[in-house]
Order: sequence, then C-alpha cells, then structure tokens
Amino acid sequence: MLERIKELYAYREMIASLVKRDLKGRYKGSALGFLWTFLNPLLQLAVYTMVFSMIMRAGIEDYYLFLFVALIPWIFFSTSLAGGAGCILAQQDLVKKIYFPREVLPVSYVTSQFVNMLLSFLVIFAVLLAAGYSLLPGAVLCLPIIMAVEYVLAIGFTMIMSAVTVYIRDLEYILGILTMAWQFLTPVMYSLEQVPEEIRWVFQVNPMTHVITAYRDILYYGKMPRLETLLSAALTGTGMLFAGWYVFQRLQRRFAEEL
Amino acid sequence: MKPENAIEVKNVTKKFRVYLDKGHTLKEKTLFRRRRAYEERVVLDEISFEVKKGEALGLIGHNGCGKSTTLKLLTRIMYPDSGTIEMNGRVSSLIELGAGFHPDLSGRENIYINASIFGLTKKEIDARMEDITTFSELREYLDQPVRTYSSGMYMRLAFSVAIHVDADILLIDEILAVGDANFQEKCFDRLREIQANGTTIVLVTHNTSTIEKFCGKAVWINQGKIAFYGASTEAVDAYLSFMNSKR
Repeated sequence: MLERIKELYAYREMIASLVKRDLKGRYKGSALGFLWTFLNPLLQLAVYTMVFSMIMRAGIEDYYLFLFVALIPWIFFSTSLAGGAGCILAQQDLVKKIYFPREVLPVSYVTSQFVNMLLSFLVIFAVLLAAGYSLLPGAVLCLPIIMAVEYVLAIGFTMIMSAVTVYIRDLEYILGILTMAWQFLTPVMYSLEQVPEEIRWVFQVNPMTHVITAYRDILYYGKMPRLETLLSAALTGTGMLFAGWYVFQRLQRRFAEEL
Repeated sequence: MKPENAIEVKNVTKKFRVYLDKGHTLKEKTLFRRRRAYEERVVLDEISFEVKKGEALGLIGHNGCGKSTTLKLLTRIMYPDSGTIEMNGRVSSLIELGAGFHPDLSGRENIYINASIFGLTKKEIDARMEDITTFSELREYLDQPVRTYSSGMYMRLAFSVAIHVDADILLIDEILAVGDANFQEKCFDRLREIQANGTTIVLVTHNTSTIEKFCGKAVWINQGKIAFYGASTEAVDAYLSFMNSKR
C-alpha cells in the first residue's frame, strides 16, 4: 500500500499534466473559452432563480441560493462518477502500451472536476456576497475540510466505477440514471426535514447527505456544521477511498487484456 | 534476488483468454453465456531467464511467439498467471513512442506531457529539456503545434524524450526504425552510451543483425518456450537455421 502511494506520488507530474490538458482542452474552440467555467454556473443560477421565484415557489427563503450551494458540490460528485467511469476506456491506448500506476487516470479525472468546482465556488462566493449573506469565519474554515472529504469520497467511487466499466461497459450508461436517482436521495433540492420520517434512514446511510448538509450549513445558513455531520462524512470518505483503491487494485491487473 | 542481477524471471506462465465471440455488455454477458466461452491459449510456458546489471539481452522469435508479451510482463502492463518477475531499479520502456501526444499542443508542451507519463517530475524534465531538444534536432520547431510536424519529426521528438528517461532498466520493442539512417545511427550511439553507463537493456526486434551487434546474450522464444538461451550470435544462428528449415 505504502509502495503504491509512493509510486503515485512519483507520477504527480503526470496527474498535473493530464488535469491541465483536460482543463485547457475542455472549452477549446469556443469563442469565450475558459470564461465558460464561470459562465456555466452563473447561467444555471439565473435559470434556477427565475424558475423558483416566478414559476414554482418553494417556500424556502432565497431558494435559488439554498439549491445552488448544494448543487455545485453535487454536480462535482455526480460528474466524477458518471463521467469518470469511462476514464480508463478513454485512455486505452495508453493503458495497453505503457506502464504507469493506473490510479493516475481516475485521480486526475476527479481532480480536474474538483478544480472546476473550486472555480465555480468563486461564483458562489460572489453571489452570496451580492445577496447580502454574511459567512461565519469559523465555518468557512471548515469548508476546505468538507471539500477534501468530498474529493476523497469521489475518488473512492470513481476508482471502482472506472475499473468495473472496463469489464462491463454498460455501467457507464447505468450510472447516468443511477446518479440522477441518487440526487433525489440526497437533500440537494430539499432539506432533510421535508423528507418523510419513514424513508429518512435512506438519507442517513447515504454518505453524500452529510457532505451536502455541511456545505449548506456553512454557506446558506452561515453556521458551523455539526461535528457529527463532519465526522460521519470524513469516516465514510476514508472508508470509501480504501475500499475503492482495494477493488481497483484487484481489477487493474487484467486491464490491458480486457481493453 | 541475486545482487548482480537486474531482472530475474522465474517459471513465468502467461495465458490469454481467446474469446470466441467477445461480449462486453451486460446483456451479452448474462444472456449469451456461450458467447463468453473462451479458450485459454498459453503464450508463455514456464519461462525463466535472468539479466545481469549492465547487460544487453535480445529477444528473438517469429511472429506471435510471445516475445512482445514477455516485454509487456516486464513493464508490468500485464501480470503473469504464475511465476515471478523481479526487477531491480527504475524501469523505462520504449514500447510506444509519443504516448499522450496532443496534436494541438506545441512540441515543448508535449515533451512535458510525454515525459510525465514516463514518471518524470517537472524538475527532472526541466533538467533534461536542453538535451532532449538538441537530440531531436527540432529546436526551431519546438513552439509549433505537433500536428504541423512530419511523421519523421514526430518520431524524432518522441524518441528523444524516451531515450532521456534515465532508467536502470530499459525495455525496447521494435522501435529503432526511426527517422533516416543518420538519426538511426545516432539512436544506436545514444543507446550504447546509456549501456556503458550501466543501464540494463532488453531489446525485441526482428532484425537479427541488430541483436548480434548490440546484445551480448539473447533468448530465442519458440511457441512460448525458451528454445535457446546464450550468446547472441549462437542464438541468432540457431533461430535462423530453424526458420530456414521451415521454409
């Protein structure tokens, strides 16, 4: 295990250059280029604001913000999963012909999505400020922690999904619908209190519930996230990372032959 | 592992699953069981050899005999079904040139991407930049996108990066046919230099004169087994007379 971590660290430049290549290449050829990284969330926000202040009133104060501070982290997670599942297939030429620690591929995919989320957070902060929200400095200090937890959680899941996708190609498509269902089992569009008691346990076992709750506490309610929330998120995050890595290790041995 | 050895291969067996009709999707995997049937083909059968530090070993044999598979096992792209492979030191492979090259990025940017795939850090790449540039003879084209390169220029750039990854063990597969005669000669000179510095080299090629010129020892693999293992000239003789007898 320690060996693998050391080796992965030795390949950090590869991770960095894949992330750079992805971020640079994403909006290549479009007129506005990198600006889209900021425009995209901003325009999404505009749509949500319009829908939920004019068409469907949610009964939650500043619902668009309530939704937005949870949606951006959720999009990071779901894209990592659904898009990241194909990351090994997409690089099969490399995998078949060159040795490098295979973990590099899911890690760099998730990292590139993560950087994208960090950039979207600039938009979140700007909008919160413009809407007259004030944040608790202590709570904002918890933000990097919960981001790190979500990052680790996403890496764990993406490792499993990308490795299994090599053997069962359907998974990539199944995941599209699965992450959609998962979103509704996570308090992204509504608060946990609005969920009927009988099915609330589903939300409780869902690791993303704690992550999203923490984000919302910090950004929307402007309060410290509960220690309990942070701890259960951190625990499931690390657990998932190790589980994901273990499965990946087992499955990666036959990658070159299966591709 | 003996301290004087760079590579030890012991009783390595590799089988490939040859699918009669391969299904990748869930439907195919569950519904059409029969389609998933595969035959196991033994590609390497209990082969063992060792390479001493600083030695150059050639692998010869006809197409499909398992020599490229051997090299893939050495690079850890694949894993053996049984047996062990031990390697001592940093391994670099010249199996695929120009991995990760992005046509829209400049030669310089591609050097960084390509070298990083070989496991070099930014600092190490910076330190080699000058040597790589000089060796490739592409200095004035370095800031142009790689898609504007001719195929010869492309290969020269790729080879220059690969040859500057200072490895303890270098694995080479049939890629020395790069560029014109002068550049090829330069590649061989560079390889000799690398070998003189103590790097262990394993070379796969169909060009038997290259093996004789370059390698002290050679392994001839035939039908997954080692048919001959010894001095390269004798191995090449045995291999060629076998091939002639089959004609």
